[in-house]
Amino acid sequence: MSDATSIQTPPPSASAKASRLRFAAFWGLPPLLWQLAFFVVPLGFLVAMTFWSVKSFRLTPDATLANWIFILNAGFFRNAYIYTFWLAGLTALLASLIAFPASYAMAFLLKPATRRFLVFMLVVPFFTSYPVRIYSTQIFFSPQGIINAVIAPLGLGPISVLNSPAGTVVGYLVLTLPLVVLLQTFALGNVPRTLIEAAHNLGCGRLRTILTVIVPSARVGLIVAATFAFVLAFGDYVAPVYLGGSKPPTLSILIADQVKSGNNWPRASVVAVVMIVTLIIVMTAMLALAYGRKGARR
Amino acid sequence: MTGATAAPMLEIDRVAKRYGETVAVADVSFTIEKGEFIALMGPSGCGKTTTLRMIAGLDVPSDGEIRLWGRRINEDAPWEREAPLVWQNYALFPFLSVVKNVEFGLKQRGLPAAERRRKAMEWMERLGIAGFADRGVDQLSGGQRQRVALARALALEPEMLLLDEPLSALDPHLRVRMQSELVRLHRELGITFVCVTHSHSEAFAMADRVVIMSEGRVQQIGAPREIYRRASNRFVAEFVGGNNLFSGTASGAGEGMVRVDGPFGSALAPRPTDVEILDGQAVTLVVAADRIDLAAAPSGAGNEVEARVVTLEFVGSSVTVFLETTGGAELRVQRSLHQIENTPLSPGQAVFARWAQAEGFFLPA
Repeated sequence: MSDATSIQTPPPSASAKASRLRFAAFWGLPPLLWQLAFFVVPLGFLVAMTFWSVKSFRLTPDATLANWIFILNAGFFRNAYIYTFWLAGLTALLASLIAFPASYAMAFLLKPATRRFLVFMLVVPFFTSYPVRIYSTQIFFSPQGIINAVIAPLGLGPISVLNSPAGTVVGYLVLTLPLVVLLQTFALGNVPRTLIEAAHNLGCGRLRTILTVIVPSARVGLIVAATFAFVLAFGDYVAPVYLGGSKPPTLSILIADQVKSGNNWPRASVVAVVMIVTLIIVMTAMLALAYGRKGARR
Repeated sequence: MTGATAAPMLEIDRVAKRYGETVAVADVSFTIEKGEFIALMGPSGCGKTTTLRMIAGLDVPSDGEIRLWGRRINEDAPWEREAPLVWQNYALFPFLSVVKNVEFGLKQRGLPAAERRRKAMEWMERLGIAGFADRGVDQLSGGQRQRVALARALALEPEMLLLDEPLSALDPHLRVRMQSELVRLHRELGITFVCVTHSHSEAFAMADRVVIMSEGRVQQIGAPREIYRRASNRFVAEFVGGNNLFSGTASGAGEGMVRVDGPFGSALAPRPTDVEILDGQAVTLVVAADRIDLAAAPSGAGNEVEARVVTLEFVGSSVTVFLETTGGAELRVQRSLHQIENTPLSPGQAVFARWAQAEGFFLPA
């Protein structure tokens, strides 16, 4: 015990600290600069533009609250906001529910080799550009499309999905499902097997174990997956236009409309800023839900 | 045979478990009586944990049968059994408070909330963790977690408790305390304990009977003293430690005795009744290290072997003396610290190792 005092770690010297800082700066600075240049600066510009005005179709720097007052009081904006929020929320919920059985199977039932193959297959959709995938979805759901052709002989249909909120949600799911399955699979894969076995051992059947042990254990990952689905759907423009037929318009369509009709960039910026603020609030709330100490233990 | 009167509580009958090409358990049979404390002991990979998991229903045997009170339970799902397990890493639910962890099994059985809270608190009281009821399990020390795991299992008031290396994650001084606490719990509750361990000191200290396993097979079953004093084969004699294994050649030595000559010297031992030993046969004579005396001069009684002290190893109040015989064989002798202090030994010293003829026994071939 006497030699414990002689082997003490020396206090970090000032030069060692400086060298560590330089090291961190060297590797940390480039991404930081990138984010500053292509995210923070444009964001600042976007916020600034909400106070500009448009005079005879020309953008004029200004310091007016007119755009904010107009948009926040506009009925069409409120309707679009509620509609978009509801549809994104519905997508997050549907994607989570539809993905869960698949993720469960991938995490717990399949062999590692099969799981690796399927994870690869889930990344493949990201190879093709998203609008292309939406166009191919149109082929399935159009009135004379594949789905109606298949179900007609069974005496079903025709179903009409295109140009409706249902079409938009289908598009959102095309966008979000692969990602949600991936995130859920990783989340479930990290649930300790002994916890599941311990639940079985204490008399908890297979289905019940999912609710009482697996979901609470994978809570953070499952919430993050749902949040991603919400964020992607909330800002998406392609699905509501090409599958939803722009009726009723979502916030992203509203932005495009403001620009197209009357070149009103400031009003479009107001909508965009409101969307960003909404997403920040939603993400903060979801992360609090995921990591919150109070919610963590019942 | 309808009367289950004679049937033991649990029968493991020629059970095997294979994972593809890998054999975890080759062929294991033993029985467990109600209220026994059984230890499954062996080196890692001997199949002891797999055997325990099959009793819990977490693994299904590839062959053989497990019977509870005479009824085959091979295919019963784990949640249909009453055999709660205390896990090596405790496997507590981190998203539940301590008391909710203890209540977990009772909740699955549909006990009303008030009733299960009362029972959970009773068990936590008994195990000295009632003060942590509303804490998270991540705020507990290893020893406290162990108690939560025990309370969670015992709250079900099972007739059999399974323990998988219950003490291995604890620090040494806590391990000894928990060991005696487990023995006390077992005595008080009167239920069956089945405990997996790789430590013979743990197994011998706690269990009524020990099942020693190696390479998926049972090597010996018996009370700790029985195994310690009469190892049934070389593996057991070496694994339990504290034994000298002398190889040599047998020859007749009068009525009921065998003489063995080898590098260790020569000694007499009782002729075994169950196996025949022929003159000139190669045999292994086992003598427990704590049954050998050391003396400065020969006395002419019993077996005596001349040896030199190589080194001494002090473990608490006992000392192992390592010696080398004149013939070059290793010899170990266990003494108490007290004895060593009375007659000091130092490396290089020449001594006579002496033991009574009745202390030696033979390993089967």
